[in-house]
Amino acid sequence: MRSQAMFFKARVGDKLADPVLQENLGKAKSKFVDARARAVAEYERDEGADFESLREAGRAIRNRTLANLDVWLETFEQKAGERGAQVKYARDGEEICRLVVEIARRHGVTKVVKSKSMLSEEAGLNKALAEAGIQPVETDLGEYILQINDNEPPSHIIAPAFHKSKEEVAELFTRTHGRPKKSGIEEMTREARETLRSHFLSAGMGISGGNFLIAETGSVTLVTNEGNGRMVTTMPKVHVVITGIEKVIPTLEDFATLMRLLPRSATGQHISNYVSVLTGVKRPEDLDGPEHLYFILVDNGRASLLGTEFQEMLRCIRCGACMNHCPVYQTVGGHAYGWVYPGPMGSVLTPLYTGIANALDLPHAATLCGQCSVVCPVKIPLPELLRGLREKQVDMDLRPKSERLALRLWGWVARRPSLYGLAAKLAVRYLNWLAEGRDRIPLLGIAPEWTKGRDFPAPQGRTFRELYAERRRREGR
Amino acid sequence: MQAREDILFRVRAALGRSDRNRHEGETDVQAAFAARAQGPRPQLGADLAARFRHECGVQSSTLDEVAALADVPAAVARYLAERGLPPRAVVWPKYAGLPWAAAGVEAEARAARDEDLVGITGCFCAIAETGTLMTCSAPDTPPSTSLLPETHIAVVPVSRIVAGMEDGWALARAELGELPRAVNFISGPSRTGDIEQTIVIGAHGPYRVHLILVREG
Repeated sequence: MRSQAMFFKARVGDKLADPVLQENLGKAKSKFVDARARAVAEYERDEGADFESLREAGRAIRNRTLANLDVWLETFEQKAGERGAQVKYARDGEEICRLVVEIARRHGVTKVVKSKSMLSEEAGLNKALAEAGIQPVETDLGEYILQINDNEPPSHIIAPAFHKSKEEVAELFTRTHGRPKKSGIEEMTREARETLRSHFLSAGMGISGGNFLIAETGSVTLVTNEGNGRMVTTMPKVHVVITGIEKVIPTLEDFATLMRLLPRSATGQHISNYVSVLTGVKRPEDLDGPEHLYFILVDNGRASLLGTEFQEMLRCIRCGACMNHCPVYQTVGGHAYGWVYPGPMGSVLTPLYTGIANALDLPHAATLCGQCSVVCPVKIPLPELLRGLREKQVDMDLRPKSERLALRLWGWVARRPSLYGLAAKLAVRYLNWLAEGRDRIPLLGIAPEWTKGRDFPAPQGRTFRELYAERRRREGR
Repeated sequence: MQAREDILFRVRAALGRSDRNRHEGETDVQAAFAARAQGPRPQLGADLAARFRHECGVQSSTLDEVAALADVPAAVARYLAERGLPPRAVVWPKYAGLPWAAAGVEAEARAARDEDLVGITGCFCAIAETGTLMTCSAPDTPPSTSLLPETHIAVVPVSRIVAGMEDGWALARAELGELPRAVNFISGPSRTGDIEQTIVIGAHGPYRVHLILVREG
């Protein structure tokens, strides 16, 4: 998928002015937040259950494999191979597409059913498959809705159609399925089930992502509610797993710990409906299951984060809590971010995976309120990473001239205390004059853009230094 | 192979890999496998069956209870009649020998097909913490039975209820040795929240999950 992240500001304007999107976001935004809060509170009702220590454990598990990622990957490879899986690697999206098309051709596959895989979005896999004459069918309800809407990109990593209303979905369904228009969500879901069932049973290959890879057993784990993940990995003869090299964890016990964190952080469930741990291929006497299993382990920028200040981002378990709790995401939705991953995690990943110069606005699309890092199940310090990216932009000379000049000027003044005092004094007087006795300034002459969306608070009285000096005088010191 | 070598080279370079710290890495892998350390876990108290029943309610599974395995077919017949479902089902080969005909249930032991309305399975064990079935694939316990039919009925021996997922893994290691192809943890009927974040029961898997607890040891 080609990144559109450089157009963030223009897109935000469109999204804010879109009344349908604003209504849809308004309806959806508190649901995940409330559900997570409830789930965490319910977890802590049991004796000895403390979500904070769980988060600490999740962080340690993810750090452990990242610290020796090469050795863990080799271990996983060996274990998976022992059970009949083939492990392949892809450097980038193009290589993912090439490998998947090759595998499909080798097995004579003409139709592929897909369970949600964000990496296949990174690669633009559906387009590549279609061009190779292989029909890709998305089976996660949200992804399916977007696919039949002319391959619209997802706006949320766990709820891809987060931005759509049920009326829009009903319209799409009647247009695509040629059936009478439904009004209820239950009826629409049944219609999708009936349509997709025949695809599950006729496809030659299933493609899934992977929530985790377990080194101890060479397994991939899948977490879904709809059961499409199970379908895709049970019914077709070939199963291809596409996942990032950073997803490996040590043991089944570690998986148990992470499964206490992931569903609660994502949807506020105690556990997702279906959690599958899949190891190797169908055994000769088994009545169902795929005969061929391939892993495609993808770099696409991940290795370049290792050993840097951004390595912590590789702990991410893709729960979506950071975007659910982000005031910016809640206001502009996921499409404004312009690539596969929206919200705070996307604002960190997009510049790092697609180039810092190609996503200049994203690290600034945050108020640094810190809510994302408070809810992150593996304690990624997202605001610090965003700040780190802002610093990188300065180091790389990517900030606008006016901003660089202004900051240099400020730095020069700030190093001269008496000049600084005078400037502050003048500024306060000027702002007070602008405020005309009110406590807010509706239009700031030197930064009109800034006051477009909010008022500038007027300073109250004199500067801190003036007040401090006066107090010392009064106290006779 | 070039991609593999390239990626591993990049990873090693980024980690500052040397012969010496490579050994440390390998030691850490072995230590993790030897210890299989558990993370923080909630204490559930002694009555695991009560907790399991409660959590099943949270997951929208329904419950019944019988004294012995031989009572299961009659309980199935009763459930199907109450729901107005035909007394026909695909069952795990593992349970082919139960007295189905005597209870008036037409049971076929094979993998499930699209047209099957009712699938009857057991479980490897059940997890009290979350009201979850742990199922393990094998020739006599195919996974499709709990997936394709709209109604899934599962037999849960009370003696097989354990506290958490970690206990399920310990049982699997002790009884099965290596993991089967598919371990599926099932917690209630399938659902989706993909349209307006409104939860709807019944997506691609079953609409109904009915659990029959069996008391005998």
